[in-house]
Amino acid sequence: MIAFLLVLALQLKVPDAEQFVGKPQGTPLTGEQLHLRTQQVGALLRCPVCQGLSVSDSPAEMAVNMRGQVRELLSRGYTQEQILSYFERSYGQFVLLKPKFNGVAAVVWILPILAVAIGVVIVVSKAKKLEQRPTANGQQPTANDPYLARVRDMVQKP
Amino acid sequence: MNRTVLIVGLIIVAAIVAILFMGLGNDPAHIDSPLIGSPAPGFALKAVGSDETIDLTRYRGKPVVLNFWATWCRPCWDEHPVLTANAQMAGDRVQYLGVVFQDEESKIRSFLEQRGWAYPTLVDQAGKTAIAYGVGGVPETYFLDKNGIIVAKFAGPMSAEDIEKNLRKAMQ
Repeated sequence: MIAFLLVLALQLKVPDAEQFVGKPQGTPLTGEQLHLRTQQVGALLRCPVCQGLSVSDSPAEMAVNMRGQVRELLSRGYTQEQILSYFERSYGQFVLLKPKFNGVAAVVWILPILAVAIGVVIVVSKAKKLEQRPTANGQQPTANDPYLARVRDMVQKP
Repeated sequence: MNRTVLIVGLIIVAAIVAILFMGLGNDPAHIDSPLIGSPAPGFALKAVGSDETIDLTRYRGKPVVLNFWATWCRPCWDEHPVLTANAQMAGDRVQYLGVVFQDEESKIRSFLEQRGWAYPTLVDQAGKTAIAYGVGGVPETYFLDKNGIIVAKFAGPMSAEDIEKNLRKAMQ
């Protein structure tokens, strides 16, 4: 029976990462380091059957399988970039929780920076306008202004 | 300044509304497969109810309908008779294959015995085949042309019309 199962296992073939991203370019990991890196790389991948959960955080069987595959690839020496490329090849950029800076995804990066920059320009120009705002009689106050001199006197009086 | 702020604000709002409007017609469950136009990932998996291992390359030379499903998936129950009937009608011209995803062989065998089958059903190993194809849920079907290139993907249970429409692309 064992011999039969062994023969069967040898005949089975599942798609392998080497077909798509080449040979491993890193160091094979084991033990605690393997566990830690599996969590870290899994946290960068989106669970395709969940609502916004990473592969590391989801208890779904799909995520468990993906985590198992990440673990296996890390133990064979595949790098984070190779593993992310492997999943991206099957699922597209959707599977990456941190979108890449290209195409439409670049908008996700540019828009917040652009919004902050526009906000800063508006605040600065408003502040400048407030500084230059003329007084009630339409004149800018000067250092020798009699009104300012009276105020200064009142403030400095003990 | 107020006019500039208004114009910039309007441009930003218009861009956001345009992006949201474009997404209105999209099916949230539909994710385009980046594999369309690429060679289908190869596999050799055990067939349910036999000791035979079926290699995908065996069917090179004719279109393949590769259906990922599971017995715990209710829409797959509805899709099963449609696929079976279409596979029987297609005969040798098209090869239908089922790949069962996250399931137990005993449950699959019992399901097929109750409902019948017309093509081989294979058991995925730890979801590796499904992951290589980018399966996000079941049922999900991939259409391969005679050269083993993925030409279409369908997410969800298919009707006979859906099969026909996608199969046409595979037969071109």
